[in-house]
Amino acid sequence: MARSIFPVDRAHILQQLGKTDVLEALKKMLLIRNFEIRAEAAYLQGKIGGFFHSYIGQEAIQTAAVMAMGMNNWWITSYRCHALALLLGATPDSIMAEFFGRVTGNAKGRGGSMHLYTERLLGGFGIVGGQVPIAIGAAFSLKYQGIRDQAAICFLGDGAVPQGAFHESMNLAALWSLPCLTVIENNEWGMGTAVAKAVSVPRLAEDKAPGYGMEGFTLDGMDFLHCYGAFLTFSKNMQANSRPILVEALTQRFKGHSVSDPGLYRTKESVKEHMGRDPILLLKQELEQVGWLDEETFTALDTQARETALAALKFAEESPWPDLATLERDVFAPENL
Amino acid sequence: MTTQLIDMREALRQALNEEMERDANVFIMGEEVGEYNGAYKVTKGMLEKWGPKRVLDTPISELGFAGLGIGAAMTGLRPVVEFMSFNFSFVAADQIISNAAKMYYMSGNRFSVPIVFRGPNGAAAQVSSQHSHCVESMYGVLPGLIIVTPSNAYSAKGLLKSAIRSNNPVLFLESELSYGDKMEIPTEEYLVPIGQARVVRPGKNLTLVSHSHMINKCLKAAEELAKGGIEAEVIDLQTIRPLDIETVLTSIKKTNRAVLVEEGHYFSGIAAEVAFEIQEKAFDYLDAPVLRVCQRETPMPYSKVLEAETLPNVPRIVAACRSIA
Repeated sequence: MARSIFPVDRAHILQQLGKTDVLEALKKMLLIRNFEIRAEAAYLQGKIGGFFHSYIGQEAIQTAAVMAMGMNNWWITSYRCHALALLLGATPDSIMAEFFGRVTGNAKGRGGSMHLYTERLLGGFGIVGGQVPIAIGAAFSLKYQGIRDQAAICFLGDGAVPQGAFHESMNLAALWSLPCLTVIENNEWGMGTAVAKAVSVPRLAEDKAPGYGMEGFTLDGMDFLHCYGAFLTFSKNMQANSRPILVEALTQRFKGHSVSDPGLYRTKESVKEHMGRDPILLLKQELEQVGWLDEETFTALDTQARETALAALKFAEESPWPDLATLERDVFAPENL
Repeated sequence: MTTQLIDMREALRQALNEEMERDANVFIMGEEVGEYNGAYKVTKGMLEKWGPKRVLDTPISELGFAGLGIGAAMTGLRPVVEFMSFNFSFVAADQIISNAAKMYYMSGNRFSVPIVFRGPNGAAAQVSSQHSHCVESMYGVLPGLIIVTPSNAYSAKGLLKSAIRSNNPVLFLESELSYGDKMEIPTEEYLVPIGQARVVRPGKNLTLVSHSHMINKCLKAAEELAKGGIEAEVIDLQTIRPLDIETVLTSIKKTNRAVLVEEGHYFSGIAAEVAFEIQEKAFDYLDAPVLRVCQRETPMPYSKVLEAETLPNVPRIVAACRSIA
């Protein structure tokens, strides 16, 4: 059965957001884009180690979610976590320094690119699907503490859907009525395995959710306004009924699964076609049409974002390495006994 | 000081009730902990006392509720998660290992995980291969986990209270065979600190080091040895990580001989670690090789005669001690 894209009155959302906020969204997406481009270049120069999973192509989803729902929630995501950390207020400097393994990094150089945090971002999780139970635990805390105006928002890739952690978490979330919004960012590829070869049903939210007794919706993950409107609705619904929601956001990553992935499993033509629906260009065109943006302003915003990313590189490069004497510190949290 | 004669399950229940009274963020969840009153009755009456908000029956979904607990711990609560058997923790191992153990360090100190996973560990009575494994050496290799192994009602109560107050993930390994063991313990509140071993029987000729249910076997072996004039000092490790090796070394510096007894296997076991630390830190004090009496290298067989043969028992402990004393 075909997916039904969640209905959003985009024109209304555009007016509701207004020029300032929607330009702010564009700025955030440009920062993510430029940050990832510069960081990936540094990776290729050997300045960043480990794994590196770019969010390029998927910017609209998390930007819309954070803007629509507000930072003041619990946020959880996979190793593809750079954008969410930026959106939740981690500075580009601290994230880049983390990539460089420096003491000024977001996690003191201990976590690396897959493990980023803010006061309300529980991570950056490296095991596929391993973050989903954590998210329902955060939702459980909110319910236990009687906090009704917040939710736990969990992002995972399509590759995580076959994991047992996903199934057990969805069952518990629905069974215990936990305010958890679970967003599957379906970029069609779990590393190099097509989603159709990995999941037994085609519609990851609409087919799966009814089996757990929850609502499931599909979003156009390349369309910021659409995602923003949908997340606003989900947020209101969850505050009203404390029920979990499962969402599939259709998207494309323009890069490989990680830097080391040449992407031989898909054609250049298909990537090019997807890039025609670049979420940043789509928003740009829309804003140009309503007269809120011109080429000159866009270029200025893009340049500004690039300069921020370059400054972060400089900060990271000039930051000190962790003191080796601190290696064995902080394996345990301090006790108050 | 007034005392009460109670068994280990009652001691554990008192610890849970006292800590839930003390801190509204403490709750317990697990399979059958509520309506059924606990598979081993540790949580008997607790659902009635605290209600379903703080005593939660979970589905058979260890991965899910272990991870849920960790998420709750990261966001302000202090969950106590019961595994009906620690053998069931294996399906939740990713959450314990990748998330609970590593979070505080990996997050640059941003998120701690104050959670207790508790339940029976090791052999019971003929529950066969998949319900009898000792997990302490498996989880013991992970920096970031505290591992506690009480041997009697006194240590069970005091250590569980400390575990619940800890700001770190604790694996609290009980023994089904000890749940009914009765003991006089204080009526007043007390804590037993994590990370301290205890001399449970003094002696001068050799040191027996063990933990959990095997302490009972060591004490019986020590009585047997005493008849032949060998005075064994029995040390209960109480906590596996952090390991209190100093108490062990102090004893060995006096006795110059050691036999290590562990319900789990020889290979890469806790005894192997203790023995290594002894040779590293007290080599010059040893007058004999350090010996081990551990579970033999088999999955747990069902037949009671085979089960008794693979587990450490009093005759094997006595024989090992006599061979070096």
